[in-house]
Amino acid sequence: MSSVVLAKNISKIYGVGESQVKAVDNVSLEFKKGEFVAIIGASGSGKSTLMHILGCLDKPSNGDYFFGGKVVSSLSDNELANIRNKKIGFVFQFFNLLPRTSAVKNVELPLLYAGVNKKERQKMSEKVLKNLGLSQRLQSTSAQLSGGEQQRVAIARALVNNPEVIFADEPTGNIDSKSSEEIMNLFKSLNKKGHTIVVITHDKEVADFASRIITIRDGKIISDRRRKK
Amino acid sequence: MDISEIFSSAIEALKTNKVRSFLTSLGIIIGVASVILLISLGSGLEKSITAQFERLGANTLYVVPGRLGEGGGFAGGSGMSTNKLKFSDTNQIKRQIKDVSTVSSGIESITSVEYRGEKRNGVIFLGVEATFVEIGDYNIETGRFFTRTENNTGKKVVIVGQTIVEEMFDGQNPIGRELNVRGKKYKVIGVLEKLGSIVGQDQDNMVMLPAETANRQFGFDRPTWILAKVSTQEKIPQVKAEIEKLLLKRLTEDDFTVLSQEESLDIAETILGVVQTVFVGIAAISLVVGGIGISNIMLVSVTERTHEIGLRKAIGAKSKDVLVQFLIEAIVLSLLGGIIGLIIATLLSLAARIFIPATVTPSAVFLAIGFSVLVGTVFGVFPAYRASKLQPIEALRSE
Repeated sequence: MSSVVLAKNISKIYGVGESQVKAVDNVSLEFKKGEFVAIIGASGSGKSTLMHILGCLDKPSNGDYFFGGKVVSSLSDNELANIRNKKIGFVFQFFNLLPRTSAVKNVELPLLYAGVNKKERQKMSEKVLKNLGLSQRLQSTSAQLSGGEQQRVAIARALVNNPEVIFADEPTGNIDSKSSEEIMNLFKSLNKKGHTIVVITHDKEVADFASRIITIRDGKIISDRRRKK
Repeated sequence: MDISEIFSSAIEALKTNKVRSFLTSLGIIIGVASVILLISLGSGLEKSITAQFERLGANTLYVVPGRLGEGGGFAGGSGMSTNKLKFSDTNQIKRQIKDVSTVSSGIESITSVEYRGEKRNGVIFLGVEATFVEIGDYNIETGRFFTRTENNTGKKVVIVGQTIVEEMFDGQNPIGRELNVRGKKYKVIGVLEKLGSIVGQDQDNMVMLPAETANRQFGFDRPTWILAKVSTQEKIPQVKAEIEKLLLKRLTEDDFTVLSQEESLDIAETILGVVQTVFVGIAAISLVVGGIGISNIMLVSVTERTHEIGLRKAIGAKSKDVLVQFLIEAIVLSLLGGIIGLIIATLLSLAARIFIPATVTPSAVFLAIGFSVLVGTVFGVFPAYRASKLQPIEALRSE
């Protein structure tokens, strides 16, 4: 299988001189297409910074990072925006849905930036929302949705461009345990359909849904194990 | 990106903070409304002034006291305060310049009139010679104009305007009645046709009497102006020079000015133009202030929505997309202000029609829309640029 994500000795350094902090310290890793990876670590371990780099939201200070075979550090801001738009889907802890905007319009957003026409945008968004069991909630705004529903809308938004990887940063951090389980099962079923999924969490129970668990501490990988299915 | 989508999301964002959006566009509303209103009042004023000069005929030369400088401005204010023209100047012009067909002195003042114990103040008092009716476009509706003899002998006769007929005589025919002008009794001999109002002044609220009578009864010993009708239009420059030469024998250059209708219009338009420029300029300052308000609120909006910007960038918005989004928001804000301002200006100028024929022209509409888009763009660029330069992770981190 081809590798989607390939990091070679990447570091992210903040500050200068003695106050220098290595948020990510010499990390190398590779994700293949179709993997379900959990990156687990305590707060401040550098897992979020690592996700930002892997998700092309940020560039490493040192080392080489390849996304889909392309060297990220040499790409312009516009090219990075393009990769995020077409090849990556993000799911955040606080959902980050636009307020006062319907579920469909929220899901349409990445398509809008991809230049898809209005009719097509609506059709694709509604289809994804229906697949995630939100056919009754198409026109609801985030204020009218429960936490679990909001996160499913966010997942629909991440899926709508049919990305190569979905990065989920603490996707269950802001919802109740029952909904959390539903969301993680949703990721699991998406993975079975072939989606590559990377979940960042501090919660071991959440990490256990993944087939590969990478543990991070002080910016370094301290373990990387695959579970038998 | 889909422009209609950007517009509807801009309107959505502005609707979120209705009061704030309204207060922000208030500067633009006031600015556009006052600029458009002043332009329409100015053009209305110009129209009515033109109408007034045109009533006196194209071949007419005006001799006025004092010196009106070249190019329209007033020079030497002292010239305005002392009137050195004499009635004898009128006669000399008539006698010595052969291409002048008719001359009339004129005295202008404000007076009070009284009829059967009912008093009326603020009436236009016009003392003219019998020849005046041959120069200006002032027609008698009923009765007659006074004769040369009546003028020369200072007869106490008066011609009244339509408003005087309505208000003092209850619309009845006043011919032969006696009207009290400044405490003296005058016999009404004629009624003027309706003249309308100019610059808010009712021209029909007028009494017209012989200049000589005004001189003898009230001591108006100097004409406010002298009108000279030239035989043909081509002779105007020549006659103008001759009148100047004649008057310079007795007076200095600072004591009088001879103007053709065209020059008078030019002067009026220049003065009006300067006044209008100053006022419109002041009004335009409020547009700039309004623009600063928009800039300010857009910066607040960018700060408040940093997280949203981060999200948009994370899911693929380019810097350009964010820039356009915030710029359009600023333009919509300003444009809405411009449209409301235009509506207000239109309503006010309709109301002003009681005094002045003010009209909001299509070019004023274009100006209002153009200016508000311009202000929105100029003052929206900086906040929009700020928004577009935010890094996605920095923006996402802000809570």
